[in-house]
Amino acid sequence: MALEKEVETYHARLPELKEHAGKYVLIHGDKVVDFFTSYEDAIKAGYQQFQLQPFLVKLVQAVEQVHFVSRLFAPLGLRSSA
Amino acid sequence: MSHFTLQFDAGGPLLRAVVSVSAARAGALTAASQELPPPVPIQALVDTGASCTCIDPDILINRLGLMATGEAECLTPTTGATPQKMKLYDIGLRIMAGSVTEPHLYLDPLPVMESGLFDGQGIHALIGRDVLNRCVLIYNGTTRLFTLSY
Repeated sequence: MALEKEVETYHARLPELKEHAGKYVLIHGDKVVDFFTSYEDAIKAGYQQFQLQPFLVKLVQAVEQVHFVSRLFAPLGLRSSA
Repeated sequence: MSHFTLQFDAGGPLLRAVVSVSAARAGALTAASQELPPPVPIQALVDTGASCTCIDPDILINRLGLMATGEAECLTPTTGATPQKMKLYDIGLRIMAGSVTEPHLYLDPLPVMESGLFDGQGIHALIGRDVLNRCVLIYNGTTRLFTLSY
């Protein structure tokens, strides 16, 4: 599944990543590539370095922010194929 | 600031927008000699109850061929108290102004959440507070008009 490895890496390395809280981390496979102050810079770097291969850009947070959508729907979660 | 004012009905404050691959992804597609998927026109509901912008996966995956580049946790009325892991995609979002003389609101890259929420509702997306936080939204229920300034 796309991003499965990168998400696993993020959570496994979160204790050490927390010192970069507030920055965007770029992860490819099991490698933490770099940190960025903006989402735009992280996405650009991801496509420049890994082109169309999977990579994860995620805001490092000591406590994960949970989004909320009040309109009823059945979330797809990480089940779909992309 | 640019702005537009639109009438709304029982369906709520709807607007037209266009979703495309982000400029960064377009560069990667071009470098790989792949065709850029054409931008997709959508109808979106302005939703202050959504903390982030959500788009139907048919548009993100089938029409634009995107791969997820992020993940986040989300609560909805159907998840109960346990947040669900959701995929995020980087896109370009152009909210069309009401007239040709006004510049569109263009956000790129914008992380959006895939949400299969819109079957039968006549909409493809929810414009959430991540976008609205960059705007002034005036909702006049007595005249059934809403204004978005950006």
